[in-house]
Amino acid sequence: MRGILTIAGKDLRSLFYSPLFWVISFLLTGVWSVLYQVSLGTFARNATMMQMQGQESSMSLHEHVFAQHVGLVNFLMILAVVALTMRLFAEEKKNRTFDLLLTSPVTATQIVAGKYLAGLLASWTLVGISLLYPLATMFLADFDLGPLMASYLGLLLLVACYVAVGMFASSLTESTVLAVVMGLIFSVGIWFIGALSEAVEQPFWVTVFEHLSVGKHFSFFIRGGVGVASIVFFLSVVFINCFLTQRVVESSRWR
Amino acid sequence: MIEVRDLTKSYGLHKAIDRLNFSVNKGEVVGFLGPNGAGKTTTMKIITGFMAPTSGQVKVAGLDVFEDPVEVKKRIGYLPETPPVYGDMTVEEYLRFVAHLKGAERAKIPSLVARAIEKTNLGDVRKRLIQNLSKGFRQRVGISGAIVSDPEILILDEPTVGLDPRQVAEIRALVKELAGQHTILLSTHILPEVQASCERIIIINRGRIVAEDSLDGLTKRMSGSGRVVIRVRRAIFGLAEALGSITGVRHVAAVSGSVQSGQASSNGNGNGLGAVSQVAGEVVFEIETDGAEDTIEKIAAQVVGQGAGLMEMKSESVNLENVFLQLTSSEEQQGSNVAAGVQS
Repeated sequence: MRGILTIAGKDLRSLFYSPLFWVISFLLTGVWSVLYQVSLGTFARNATMMQMQGQESSMSLHEHVFAQHVGLVNFLMILAVVALTMRLFAEEKKNRTFDLLLTSPVTATQIVAGKYLAGLLASWTLVGISLLYPLATMFLADFDLGPLMASYLGLLLLVACYVAVGMFASSLTESTVLAVVMGLIFSVGIWFIGALSEAVEQPFWVTVFEHLSVGKHFSFFIRGGVGVASIVFFLSVVFINCFLTQRVVESSRWR
Repeated sequence: MIEVRDLTKSYGLHKAIDRLNFSVNKGEVVGFLGPNGAGKTTTMKIITGFMAPTSGQVKVAGLDVFEDPVEVKKRIGYLPETPPVYGDMTVEEYLRFVAHLKGAERAKIPSLVARAIEKTNLGDVRKRLIQNLSKGFRQRVGISGAIVSDPEILILDEPTVGLDPRQVAEIRALVKELAGQHTILLSTHILPEVQASCERIIIINRGRIVAEDSLDGLTKRMSGSGRVVIRVRRAIFGLAEALGSITGVRHVAAVSGSVQSGQASSNGNGNGLGAVSQVAGEVVFEIETDGAEDTIEKIAAQVVGQGAGLMEMKSESVNLENVFLQLTSSEEQQGSNVAAGVQS
Protein backbone atom coordinates (compact mmCIF):
# COMPACT_ATOMS: atom_id res chain seq x y z
CA MET A 1 0.00 0.00 0.00
CA ARG A 2 2.81 2.34 0.86
CA GLY A 3 4.45 1.72 -2.49
CA ILE A 4 1.19 2.61 -4.26
CA LEU A 5 0.78 5.82 -2.28
CA THR A 6 4.42 6.84 -2.76
CA ILE A 7 4.14 6.49 -6.53
CA ALA A 8 0.68 8.08 -6.66
CA GLY A 9 1.92 11.00 -4.57
CA LYS A 10 4.92 11.51 -6.79
CA ASP A 11 2.87 11.46 -9.99
CA LEU A 12 0.14 13.71 -8.61
CA ARG A 13 2.78 16.11 -7.45
CA SER A 14 4.43 16.19 -10.83
CA LEU A 15 1.03 16.72 -12.50
CA PHE A 16 0.10 19.59 -10.23
CA TYR A 17 3.56 21.16 -10.48
CA SER A 18 3.57 21.13 -14.26
CA PRO A 19 1.91 23.90 -16.27
CA LEU A 20 0.05 21.21 -18.24
CA PHE A 21 -2.61 20.60 -15.61
CA TRP A 22 -3.26 24.29 -15.10
CA VAL A 23 -3.44 25.06 -18.81
CA ILE A 24 -5.93 22.23 -19.26
CA SER A 25 -8.02 23.41 -16.30
CA PHE A 26 -7.96 26.95 -17.60
CA LEU A 27 -9.10 25.99 -21.10
CA LEU A 28 -11.77 23.57 -19.90
CA THR A 29 -13.29 25.98 -17.40
CA GLY A 30 -13.20 28.68 -20.07
CA VAL A 31 -15.18 26.58 -22.54
CA TRP A 32 -17.58 25.30 -19.88
CA SER A 33 -18.24 28.78 -18.50
CA VAL A 34 -19.18 30.21 -21.88
CA LEU A 35 -21.23 27.28 -23.16
CA TYR A 36 -23.02 26.57 -19.86
CA GLN A 37 -24.14 30.15 -19.60
CA VAL A 38 -25.35 30.12 -23.20
CA SER A 39 -27.41 26.96 -22.79
CA LEU A 40 -28.82 28.13 -19.46
CA GLY A 41 -29.76 31.47 -21.05
CA THR A 42 -31.47 29.77 -23.99
CA PHE A 43 -33.36 27.51 -21.62
CA ALA A 44 -34.51 30.47 -19.52
CA ARG A 45 -35.69 32.39 -22.61
CA ASN A 46 -37.61 29.42 -23.99
CA ALA A 47 -39.19 28.71 -20.61
CA THR A 48 -40.36 32.33 -20.21
CA MET A 49 -41.70 32.37 -23.75
CA MET A 50 -43.75 29.25 -23.14
CA GLN A 51 -45.08 30.75 -19.92
CA MET A 52 -46.01 33.96 -21.72
CA GLN A 53 -47.92 31.94 -24.29
CA GLY A 54 -49.79 30.48 -21.37
CA GLN A 55 -48.46 26.97 -21.87
CA GLU A 56 -47.59 24.71 -18.98
CA SER A 57 -43.77 24.57 -18.92
CA SER A 58 -42.88 20.97 -19.60
CA MET A 59 -39.20 21.61 -20.21
CA SER A 60 -36.86 19.96 -17.80
CA LEU A 61 -33.71 21.68 -16.70
CA HIS A 62 -31.96 18.35 -16.50
CA GLU A 63 -32.76 17.31 -20.03
CA HIS A 64 -32.00 20.63 -21.70
CA VAL A 65 -29.12 22.04 -19.70
CA PHE A 66 -27.46 19.44 -17.51
CA ALA A 67 -27.49 16.60 -20.04
CA GLN A 68 -25.90 18.91 -22.60
CA HIS A 69 -23.30 20.01 -20.08
CA VAL A 70 -22.45 16.42 -19.14
CA GLY A 71 -22.09 15.56 -22.83
CA LEU A 72 -19.71 18.46 -23.32
CA VAL A 73 -17.71 17.57 -20.21
CA ASN A 74 -17.43 13.99 -21.48
CA PHE A 75 -16.19 15.14 -24.87
CA LEU A 76 -13.58 17.51 -23.47
CA MET A 77 -12.48 14.99 -20.84
CA ILE A 78 -11.50 12.51 -23.57
CA LEU A 79 -8.94 15.09 -24.71
CA ALA A 80 -7.93 16.25 -21.24
CA VAL A 81 -7.47 12.77 -19.78
CA VAL A 82 -5.25 11.69 -22.65
CA ALA A 83 -3.08 14.75 -22.02
CA LEU A 84 -2.92 14.04 -18.29
CA THR A 85 -2.07 10.36 -18.66
CA MET A 86 0.33 10.57 -21.59
CA ARG A 87 3.34 11.04 -19.38
CA LEU A 88 2.58 8.43 -16.73
CA PHE A 89 4.78 5.77 -18.28
CA ALA A 90 6.15 7.26 -21.50
CA GLU A 91 8.11 9.93 -19.70
CA GLU A 92 9.50 7.55 -17.09
CA LYS A 93 10.76 5.32 -19.85
CA LYS A 94 12.25 8.18 -21.81
CA ASN A 95 14.05 9.68 -18.82
CA ARG A 96 15.21 6.26 -17.64
CA THR A 97 13.56 6.86 -14.27
CA PHE A 98 11.59 3.72 -15.00
CA ASP A 99 14.79 1.87 -14.04
CA LEU A 100 14.45 3.26 -10.54
CA LEU A 101 10.87 2.03 -10.20
CA LEU A 102 11.71 -1.40 -11.55
CA THR A 103 14.69 -1.84 -9.23
CA SER A 104 12.75 -0.65 -6.18
CA PRO A 105 10.94 -3.03 -3.85
CA VAL A 106 7.54 -2.45 -5.46
CA THR A 107 5.66 -4.86 -7.69
CA ALA A 108 4.44 -4.07 -11.19
CA THR A 109 0.89 -4.10 -9.80
CA GLN A 110 1.80 -1.45 -7.24
CA ILE A 111 3.42 0.74 -9.88
CA VAL A 112 0.33 0.54 -12.08
CA ALA A 113 -2.06 1.08 -9.18
CA GLY A 114 -0.10 4.12 -7.99
CA LYS A 115 -0.02 5.70 -11.39
CA TYR A 116 -3.68 4.93 -12.05
CA LEU A 117 -4.63 6.52 -8.76
CA ALA A 118 -2.70 9.69 -9.63
CA GLY A 119 -4.28 9.94 -13.09
CA LEU A 120 -7.72 9.23 -11.66
CA LEU A 121 -7.51 11.86 -8.91
CA ALA A 122 -6.28 14.55 -11.31
CA SER A 123 -9.02 13.75 -13.84
CA TRP A 124 -11.75 13.53 -11.22
CA THR A 125 -10.64 16.94 -9.95
CA LEU A 126 -11.57 18.36 -13.35
CA VAL A 127 -14.90 16.51 -13.35
CA GLY A 128 -15.49 17.91 -9.86
CA ILE A 129 -14.90 21.42 -11.13
CA SER A 130 -17.44 20.87 -13.91
CA LEU A 131 -20.03 19.86 -11.31
CA LEU A 132 -19.84 23.35 -9.83
CA TYR A 133 -21.82 24.77 -12.76
CA PRO A 134 -25.02 22.71 -12.28
CA LEU A 135 -24.67 23.05 -8.49
CA ALA A 136 -24.48 26.84 -8.80
CA THR A 137 -27.77 26.71 -10.71
CA MET A 138 -29.40 25.68 -7.42
CA PHE A 139 -29.35 29.34 -6.48
CA LEU A 140 -31.47 30.18 -9.52
CA ALA A 141 -33.89 27.32 -9.77
CA ASP A 142 -35.35 24.38 -7.94
CA PHE A 143 -34.61 21.01 -9.41
CA ASP A 144 -34.28 17.37 -8.49
CA LEU A 145 -30.66 16.50 -7.65
CA GLY A 146 -31.14 12.76 -8.34
CA PRO A 147 -30.70 12.63 -12.13
CA LEU A 148 -27.78 15.08 -11.94
CA MET A 149 -25.98 12.89 -9.42
CA ALA A 150 -26.66 9.78 -11.52
CA SER A 151 -25.22 11.54 -14.58
CA TYR A 152 -22.14 12.52 -12.65
CA LEU A 153 -21.67 8.99 -11.33
CA GLY A 154 -21.71 7.85 -14.96
CA LEU A 155 -19.26 10.59 -15.87
CA LEU A 156 -16.85 9.61 -13.09
CA LEU A 157 -16.97 5.98 -14.20
CA LEU A 158 -16.48 6.90 -17.84
CA VAL A 159 -13.54 9.17 -17.01
CA ALA A 160 -12.08 6.31 -14.95
CA CYS A 161 -12.18 4.27 -18.17
CA TYR A 162 -10.42 7.01 -20.13
CA VAL A 163 -7.68 7.18 -17.49
CA ALA A 164 -7.12 3.41 -17.68
CA VAL A 165 -7.08 3.50 -21.48
CA GLY A 166 -4.72 6.51 -21.56
CA MET A 167 -2.40 4.90 -19.05
CA PHE A 168 -2.30 1.71 -21.10
CA ALA A 169 -1.44 3.72 -24.22
CA SER A 170 1.33 5.49 -22.30
CA SER A 171 2.82 2.19 -21.14
CA LEU A 172 3.23 1.00 -24.71
CA THR A 173 5.70 3.64 -25.83
CA GLU A 174 8.36 6.05 -24.65
CA SER A 175 7.11 8.82 -26.90
CA THR A 176 4.50 11.05 -25.31
CA VAL A 177 3.23 12.08 -28.74
CA LEU A 178 2.55 8.47 -29.67
CA ALA A 179 0.95 7.96 -26.25
CA VAL A 180 -1.46 10.82 -26.97
CA VAL A 181 -2.35 9.55 -30.41
CA MET A 182 -2.90 5.99 -29.24
CA GLY A 183 -4.78 7.18 -26.17
CA LEU A 184 -7.13 9.25 -28.31
CA ILE A 185 -7.77 6.42 -30.73
CA PHE A 186 -8.40 3.94 -27.90
CA SER A 187 -10.66 6.34 -25.96
CA VAL A 188 -12.72 7.25 -28.98
CA GLY A 189 -12.57 3.64 -30.12
CA ILE A 190 -14.38 2.28 -27.08
CA TRP A 191 -17.35 4.40 -28.13
CA PHE A 192 -17.54 2.50 -31.38
CA ILE A 193 -17.36 -1.06 -30.08
CA GLY A 194 -21.14 -0.90 -29.73
CA ALA A 195 -21.50 0.03 -33.39
CA LEU A 196 -20.20 -3.41 -34.29
CA SER A 197 -23.62 -4.78 -33.35
CA GLU A 198 -24.75 -3.45 -36.73
CA ALA A 199 -22.05 -5.38 -38.50
CA VAL A 200 -22.79 -8.86 -37.20
CA GLU A 201 -25.65 -11.18 -38.12
CA GLN A 202 -25.96 -13.71 -35.32
CA PRO A 203 -28.34 -12.57 -32.58
CA PHE A 204 -25.85 -13.73 -29.95
CA TRP A 205 -23.13 -11.37 -31.14
CA VAL A 206 -25.60 -8.54 -31.64
CA THR A 207 -26.51 -8.83 -27.95
CA VAL A 208 -22.85 -9.02 -26.94
CA PHE A 209 -21.90 -5.87 -28.82
CA GLU A 210 -24.97 -4.03 -27.62
CA HIS A 211 -23.84 -4.76 -24.06
CA LEU A 212 -20.38 -3.45 -24.90
CA SER A 213 -21.77 -0.14 -26.12
CA VAL A 214 -20.36 2.70 -24.01
CA GLY A 215 -23.00 5.05 -25.39
CA LYS A 216 -25.86 2.83 -24.27
CA HIS A 217 -24.54 2.51 -20.72
CA PHE A 218 -23.66 6.19 -20.44
CA SER A 219 -27.02 7.44 -21.71
CA PHE A 220 -28.65 5.24 -19.08
CA PHE A 221 -26.85 7.24 -16.40
CA ILE A 222 -27.67 10.55 -18.09
CA ARG A 223 -31.37 9.69 -18.05
CA GLY A 224 -31.01 9.39 -14.30
CA GLY A 225 -30.65 5.65 -13.92
CA VAL A 226 -28.06 3.80 -11.88
CA GLY A 227 -27.68 0.24 -13.11
CA VAL A 228 -25.43 -2.41 -11.64
CA ALA A 229 -24.80 -3.81 -15.14
CA SER A 230 -23.55 -0.44 -16.33
CA ILE A 231 -21.34 0.07 -13.27
CA VAL A 232 -19.88 -3.40 -13.76
CA PHE A 233 -19.31 -2.66 -17.44
CA PHE A 234 -17.29 0.50 -16.74
CA LEU A 235 -15.33 -1.13 -13.93
CA SER A 236 -14.46 -4.02 -16.27
CA VAL A 237 -13.07 -1.61 -18.85
CA VAL A 238 -10.94 -0.05 -16.09
CA PHE A 239 -9.81 -3.44 -14.85
CA ILE A 240 -8.91 -4.81 -18.28
CA ASN A 241 -6.82 -1.77 -19.16
CA CYS A 242 -5.05 -1.75 -15.79
CA PHE A 243 -4.38 -5.45 -16.17
CA LEU A 244 -2.94 -4.96 -19.66
CA THR A 245 -0.75 -2.14 -18.36
CA GLN A 246 0.47 -4.38 -15.55
CA ARG A 247 1.42 -7.04 -18.12
CA VAL A 248 3.32 -4.48 -20.18
CA VAL A 249 5.25 -3.26 -17.13
CA GLU A 250 6.00 -6.80 -16.05
CA SER A 251 7.10 -7.73 -19.56
CA SER A 252 9.81 -5.06 -19.59
CA ARG A 253 11.82 -7.43 -17.41
CA TRP A 254 11.83 -10.06 -20.11
CA ARG A 255 13.18 -7.95 -22.92
CA MET B 1 26.46 -11.58 -0.55
CA ILE B 2 26.00 -11.84 -4.29
CA GLU B 3 26.25 -15.21 -6.00
CA VAL B 4 25.99 -15.52 -9.73
CA ARG B 5 25.69 -19.00 -11.25
CA ASP B 6 25.81 -19.81 -14.96
CA LEU B 7 24.17 -16.55 -15.85
CA THR B 8 23.31 -16.23 -19.53
CA LYS B 9 21.39 -13.53 -21.34
CA SER B 10 20.71 -13.67 -25.04
CA TYR B 11 19.19 -11.00 -27.21
CA GLY B 12 18.02 -13.08 -30.11
CA LEU B 13 21.08 -14.93 -31.33
CA HIS B 14 23.49 -12.54 -29.71
CA LYS B 15 24.68 -13.64 -26.30
CA ALA B 16 25.24 -10.53 -24.18
CA ILE B 17 26.61 -12.63 -21.34
CA ASP B 18 27.51 -16.26 -21.47
CA ARG B 19 27.54 -18.49 -18.38
CA LEU B 20 28.96 -16.01 -15.89
CA ASN B 21 30.00 -17.33 -12.50
CA PHE B 22 31.25 -15.18 -9.69
CA SER B 23 30.50 -14.20 -6.16
CA VAL B 24 30.96 -11.11 -4.06
CA ASN B 25 31.50 -11.48 -0.34
CA LYS B 26 30.09 -9.27 2.36
CA GLY B 27 31.93 -5.97 2.70
CA GLU B 28 33.98 -6.43 -0.43
CA VAL B 29 34.48 -3.79 -3.10
CA VAL B 30 34.59 -5.52 -6.43
CA GLY B 31 35.41 -3.83 -9.71
CA PHE B 32 33.62 -5.06 -12.76
CA LEU B 33 35.86 -4.18 -15.62
CA GLY B 34 35.47 -4.55 -19.32
CA PRO B 35 35.38 -2.70 -22.60
CA ASN B 36 32.16 -1.09 -23.74
CA GLY B 37 29.59 -3.66 -24.72
CA ALA B 38 31.20 -6.46 -22.73
CA GLY B 39 28.04 -7.21 -20.78
CA LYS B 40 28.67 -5.28 -17.58
CA THR B 41 25.40 -3.38 -17.60
CA THR B 42 23.39 -6.46 -18.55
CA THR B 43 24.87 -8.41 -15.64
CA MET B 44 24.13 -5.59 -13.21
CA LYS B 45 20.59 -5.22 -14.44
CA ILE B 46 19.99 -8.90 -13.86
CA ILE B 47 21.43 -8.79 -10.35
CA THR B 48 19.16 -5.87 -9.45
CA GLY B 49 16.10 -7.73 -10.71
CA PHE B 50 15.52 -5.19 -13.46
CA MET B 51 15.85 -7.84 -16.10
CA ALA B 52 15.40 -11.58 -16.22
CA PRO B 53 18.25 -13.80 -17.42
CA THR B 54 17.80 -16.32 -20.21
CA SER B 55 19.17 -18.95 -17.85
CA GLY B 56 21.18 -19.11 -14.65
CA GLN B 57 20.65 -18.00 -11.12
CA VAL B 58 21.44 -14.98 -8.98
CA LYS B 59 21.31 -15.03 -5.21
CA VAL B 60 21.57 -11.88 -3.14
CA ALA B 61 21.98 -12.29 0.61
CA GLY B 62 20.85 -15.90 0.20
CA LEU B 63 17.62 -14.93 -1.58
CA ASP B 64 16.91 -15.78 -5.19
CA VAL B 65 16.39 -12.58 -7.17
CA PHE B 66 13.49 -14.06 -9.11
CA GLU B 67 11.71 -15.83 -6.34
CA ASP B 68 11.90 -13.00 -3.85
CA PRO B 69 12.42 -9.82 -5.88
CA VAL B 70 10.94 -7.38 -3.39
CA GLU B 71 13.17 -8.51 -0.51
CA VAL B 72 16.23 -8.47 -2.75
CA LYS B 73 15.46 -5.01 -4.11
CA LYS B 74 15.18 -3.64 -0.57
CA ARG B 75 18.79 -4.65 0.01
CA ILE B 76 20.22 -3.17 -3.17
CA GLY B 77 21.02 0.41 -4.05
CA TYR B 78 21.48 0.71 -7.77
CA LEU B 79 22.87 3.49 -9.88
CA PRO B 80 22.14 2.81 -13.56
CA GLU B 81 24.20 4.27 -16.41
CA THR B 82 21.85 7.23 -16.70
CA PRO B 83 21.03 8.55 -13.22
CA PRO B 84 17.26 7.99 -12.75
CA VAL B 85 16.41 11.46 -11.49
CA TYR B 86 13.22 13.48 -11.90
CA GLY B 87 13.93 16.93 -13.29
CA ASP B 88 10.88 18.49 -11.65
CA MET B 89 11.93 17.59 -8.11
CA THR B 90 14.41 19.27 -5.83
CA VAL B 91 17.32 17.19 -4.62
CA GLU B 92 15.77 16.79 -1.19
CA GLU B 93 12.35 15.86 -2.54
CA TYR B 94 13.93 13.28 -4.81
CA LEU B 95 15.88 11.64 -2.01
CA ARG B 96 12.78 11.55 0.21
CA PHE B 97 10.83 9.93 -2.62
CA VAL B 98 13.52 7.29 -3.19
CA ALA B 99 13.72 6.55 0.53
CA HIS B 100 9.95 6.00 0.67
CA LEU B 101 10.05 3.92 -2.48
CA LYS B 102 12.80 1.74 -1.03
CA GLY B 103 10.62 1.15 1.98
CA ALA B 104 12.85 2.84 4.56
CA GLU B 105 11.34 3.32 7.99
CA ARG B 106 9.30 6.53 7.99
CA ALA B 107 10.81 7.92 11.18
CA LYS B 108 14.34 7.47 9.87
CA ILE B 109 13.80 9.14 6.51
CA PRO B 110 14.83 12.71 7.47
CA SER B 111 18.10 11.47 8.93
CA LEU B 112 18.73 9.13 5.98
CA VAL B 113 18.21 11.98 3.53
CA ALA B 114 20.49 14.27 5.54
CA ARG B 115 23.16 11.60 5.64
CA ALA B 116 22.99 10.94 1.87
CA ILE B 117 23.19 14.66 1.14
CA GLU B 118 26.15 15.04 3.41
CA LYS B 119 28.04 12.06 1.99
CA THR B 120 27.67 13.19 -1.59
CA ASN B 121 28.31 16.88 -0.81
CA LEU B 122 24.97 18.06 -2.13
CA GLY B 123 24.27 20.48 0.72
CA ASP B 124 24.54 23.55 -1.48
CA VAL B 125 22.01 22.36 -4.02
CA ARG B 126 19.53 20.54 -1.79
CA LYS B 127 16.74 22.99 -2.63
CA ARG B 128 17.49 23.24 -6.34
CA LEU B 129 15.46 21.56 -9.06
CA ILE B 130 17.36 18.64 -10.49
CA GLN B 131 16.72 19.76 -14.08
CA ASN B 132 18.78 22.88 -13.39
CA LEU B 133 21.79 20.94 -12.16
CA SER B 134 24.88 20.11 -14.19
CA LYS B 135 25.61 16.58 -15.33
CA GLY B 136 28.14 16.01 -12.57
CA PHE B 137 25.66 17.05 -9.91
CA ARG B 138 22.94 14.86 -11.40
CA GLN B 139 25.32 11.95 -11.27
CA ARG B 140 25.94 12.70 -7.62
CA VAL B 141 22.22 12.93 -6.97
CA GLY B 142 21.95 9.50 -8.59
CA ILE B 143 24.61 8.09 -6.27
CA SER B 144 22.93 9.80 -3.37
CA GLY B 145 19.68 8.09 -4.34
CA ALA B 146 21.43 4.72 -4.44
CA ILE B 147 22.77 5.09 -0.90
CA VAL B 148 19.86 6.94 0.69
CA SER B 149 18.05 3.86 1.99
CA ASP B 150 21.32 2.59 3.47
CA PRO B 151 21.23 -0.68 1.50
CA GLU B 152 23.57 -3.56 2.27
CA ILE B 153 24.65 -3.78 -1.34
CA LEU B 154 25.54 -1.00 -3.73
CA ILE B 155 25.63 -1.61 -7.45
CA LEU B 156 27.12 1.31 -9.31
CA ASP B 157 27.18 1.29 -13.09
CA GLU B 158 29.99 3.57 -14.21
CA PRO B 159 29.60 6.03 -11.35
CA THR B 160 32.20 8.52 -12.53
CA VAL B 161 31.15 8.94 -16.14
CA GLY B 162 30.73 12.57 -17.09
CA LEU B 163 32.36 14.03 -14.02
CA ASP B 164 35.28 16.41 -13.96
CA PRO B 165 38.56 15.18 -12.45
CA ARG B 166 37.90 16.71 -9.06
CA GLN B 167 34.46 15.16 -8.83
CA VAL B 168 35.90 11.83 -9.97
CA ALA B 169 38.36 11.99 -7.09
CA GLU B 170 35.50 12.82 -4.72
CA ILE B 171 33.41 9.89 -5.90
CA ARG B 172 36.36 7.54 -5.52
CA ALA B 173 36.91 8.81 -2.02
CA LEU B 174 33.21 8.28 -1.35
CA VAL B 175 33.34 4.70 -2.61
CA LYS B 176 36.29 4.06 -0.31
CA GLU B 177 34.41 5.59 2.57
CA LEU B 178 31.34 3.47 1.88
CA ALA B 179 33.44 0.35 1.49
CA GLY B 180 33.38 -0.51 5.16
CA GLN B 181 29.59 -0.42 5.51
CA HIS B 182 28.37 -1.74 2.18
CA THR B 183 29.17 -4.49 -0.25
CA ILE B 184 29.95 -2.73 -3.48
CA LEU B 185 29.96 -3.92 -7.07
CA LEU B 186 31.23 -1.20 -9.34
CA SER B 187 31.47 -1.32 -13.09
CA THR B 188 33.78 0.78 -15.16
CA HIS B 189 35.93 0.79 -18.23
CA ILE B 190 38.27 3.27 -16.62
CA LEU B 191 41.25 1.49 -15.17
CA PRO B 192 42.52 3.91 -12.53
CA GLU B 193 39.09 3.71 -11.00
CA VAL B 194 39.38 0.07 -10.02
CA GLN B 195 42.98 0.61 -9.02
CA ALA B 196 41.89 3.39 -6.73
CA SER B 197 38.92 1.79 -5.07
CA CYS B 198 38.55 -1.95 -5.61
CA GLU B 199 39.93 -4.87 -3.70
CA ARG B 200 39.05 -7.45 -6.27
CA ILE B 201 38.60 -7.21 -9.99
CA ILE B 202 36.49 -9.18 -12.38
CA ILE B 203 37.43 -8.59 -15.99
CA ILE B 204 34.74 -9.41 -18.46
CA ASN B 205 34.96 -9.42 -22.22
CA ARG B 206 32.36 -10.39 -24.79
CA GLY B 207 30.08 -11.75 -22.12
CA ARG B 208 32.67 -13.99 -20.48
CA ILE B 209 34.85 -13.58 -17.44
CA VAL B 210 38.45 -13.49 -18.61
CA ALA B 211 40.04 -12.91 -15.22
CA GLU B 212 39.00 -12.70 -11.62
CA ASP B 213 41.60 -11.83 -9.06
CA SER B 214 42.86 -9.25 -6.61
CA LEU B 215 44.69 -6.24 -7.99
CA ASP B 216 48.03 -7.65 -6.81
CA GLY B 217 47.23 -11.06 -8.19
CA LEU B 218 46.50 -9.67 -11.60
CA THR B 219 49.66 -7.62 -11.68
CA LYS B 220 51.68 -10.61 -10.56
CA ARG B 221 50.12 -12.70 -13.24
CA MET B 222 51.75 -10.39 -15.70
CA SER B 223 55.16 -10.41 -14.05
CA GLY B 224 57.55 -12.34 -16.17
CA SER B 225 56.97 -9.79 -18.83
CA GLY B 226 58.14 -6.25 -19.28
CA ARG B 227 58.60 -3.63 -21.89
CA VAL B 228 61.59 -1.57 -22.89
CA VAL B 229 61.38 1.41 -25.16
CA ILE B 230 64.55 2.64 -26.81
CA ARG B 231 65.20 5.59 -29.07
CA VAL B 232 68.25 5.41 -31.29
CA ARG B 233 69.79 8.05 -33.49
CA ARG B 234 70.57 5.88 -36.48
CA ALA B 235 68.59 3.04 -37.90
CA ILE B 236 71.34 0.45 -38.29
CA PHE B 237 70.62 -2.39 -40.67
CA GLY B 238 69.96 -5.54 -38.73
CA LEU B 239 69.58 -3.88 -35.36
CA ALA B 240 66.02 -5.07 -34.95
CA GLU B 241 67.03 -8.62 -35.85
CA ALA B 242 69.91 -8.51 -33.48
CA LEU B 243 67.70 -7.26 -30.67
CA GLY B 244 65.16 -9.91 -31.48
CA SER B 245 67.74 -12.65 -31.17
CA ILE B 246 68.63 -11.77 -27.57
CA THR B 247 67.46 -14.46 -25.18
CA GLY B 248 64.51 -13.13 -23.24
CA VAL B 249 63.28 -10.76 -25.91
CA ARG B 250 59.89 -11.72 -27.18
CA HIS B 251 59.02 -9.11 -29.69
CA VAL B 252 60.62 -6.07 -31.26
CA ALA B 253 58.65 -3.41 -33.05
CA ALA B 254 59.86 -0.19 -34.59
CA VAL B 255 57.10 2.22 -33.76
CA SER B 256 58.30 5.47 -35.29
CA GLY B 257 61.13 6.90 -37.27
CA SER B 258 61.90 8.82 -40.39
CA VAL B 259 62.64 5.61 -42.27
CA GLN B 260 60.47 2.79 -43.38
CA SER B 261 60.85 0.56 -40.40
CA GLY B 262 60.35 -3.12 -40.42
CA GLN B 263 59.35 -5.48 -37.71
CA ALA B 264 61.24 -8.27 -36.21
CA SER B 265 59.94 -10.87 -33.93
CA SER B 266 61.53 -13.82 -32.33
CA ASN B 267 60.49 -16.79 -30.32
CA GLY B 268 63.57 -16.34 -28.22
CA ASN B 269 65.73 -18.75 -30.22
CA GLY B 270 66.98 -16.04 -32.45
CA ASN B 271 64.91 -16.54 -35.55
CA GLY B 272 64.51 -12.93 -36.66
CA LEU B 273 61.94 -11.96 -39.21
CA GLY B 274 61.47 -8.79 -41.17
CA ALA B 275 64.04 -6.14 -41.93
CA VAL B 276 64.89 -2.54 -41.30
CA SER B 277 66.40 -0.68 -44.20
CA GLN B 278 69.62 1.04 -43.50
CA VAL B 279 68.90 4.70 -43.88
CA ALA B 280 70.02 7.21 -41.33
CA GLY B 281 67.23 8.44 -39.06
CA GLU B 282 65.89 8.30 -35.61
CA VAL B 283 63.94 5.18 -34.69
CA VAL B 284 61.99 4.17 -31.61
CA PHE B 285 61.76 0.48 -30.80
CA GLU B 286 59.34 -1.13 -28.45
CA ILE B 287 60.71 -4.34 -27.08
CA GLU B 288 58.74 -6.86 -25.11
CA THR B 289 60.90 -8.87 -22.74
CA ASP B 290 60.60 -11.52 -20.10
CA GLY B 291 61.09 -8.79 -17.53
CA ALA B 292 64.49 -10.02 -16.30
CA GLU B 293 67.13 -7.36 -15.60
CA ASP B 294 69.72 -9.36 -17.50
CA THR B 295 67.69 -8.98 -20.65
CA ILE B 296 67.55 -5.21 -20.29
CA GLU B 297 71.30 -5.12 -19.80
CA LYS B 298 71.84 -7.21 -22.94
CA ILE B 299 69.59 -4.92 -24.95
CA ALA B 300 71.58 -1.89 -23.85
CA ALA B 301 74.86 -3.62 -24.68
CA GLN B 302 73.62 -4.63 -28.12
CA VAL B 303 72.41 -1.15 -29.06
CA VAL B 304 75.56 0.54 -27.86
CA GLY B 305 77.74 -2.18 -29.36
CA GLN B 306 76.23 -1.67 -32.78
CA GLY B 307 76.84 2.05 -32.56
CA ALA B 308 73.28 3.01 -33.22
CA GLY B 309 73.51 6.02 -30.94
CA LEU B 310 71.34 5.35 -27.94
CA MET B 311 69.36 8.49 -27.12
CA GLU B 312 66.85 7.21 -24.66
CA MET B 313 65.98 3.97 -22.93
CA LYS B 314 63.19 3.36 -20.51
CA SER B 315 61.78 0.30 -18.90
CA GLU B 316 58.06 0.30 -18.36
CA SER B 317 56.60 -1.67 -15.55
CA VAL B 318 53.49 -3.63 -16.27
CA ASN B 319 50.38 -1.87 -15.05
CA LEU B 320 46.78 -2.83 -14.96
CA GLU B 321 46.24 -1.28 -18.33
CA ASN B 322 48.54 -3.80 -19.97
CA VAL B 323 46.86 -6.63 -18.14
CA PHE B 324 43.50 -5.38 -19.27
CA LEU B 325 44.52 -4.86 -22.86
CA GLN B 326 46.17 -8.23 -23.04
CA LEU B 327 43.27 -10.07 -21.47
CA THR B 328 40.61 -8.39 -23.52
CA SER B 329 42.47 -8.45 -26.81
CA SER B 330 44.05 -11.89 -26.60
CA GLU B 331 40.68 -13.49 -26.98
CA GLU B 332 39.95 -11.53 -30.11
CA GLN B 333 43.36 -12.37 -31.53
CA GLN B 334 42.87 -16.02 -30.78
CA GLY B 335 39.60 -15.84 -32.56
CA SER B 336 41.04 -14.20 -35.65
CA ASN B 337 44.06 -16.49 -35.66
CA VAL B 338 41.88 -19.54 -35.62
CA ALA B 339 39.83 -18.04 -38.40
CA ALA B 340 42.94 -17.46 -40.49
CA GLY B 341 44.31 -20.88 -39.68
CA VAL B 342 47.46 -19.48 -38.13
CA GLN B 343 49.15 -21.16 -35.20
CA SER B 344 50.06 -18.71 -32.51
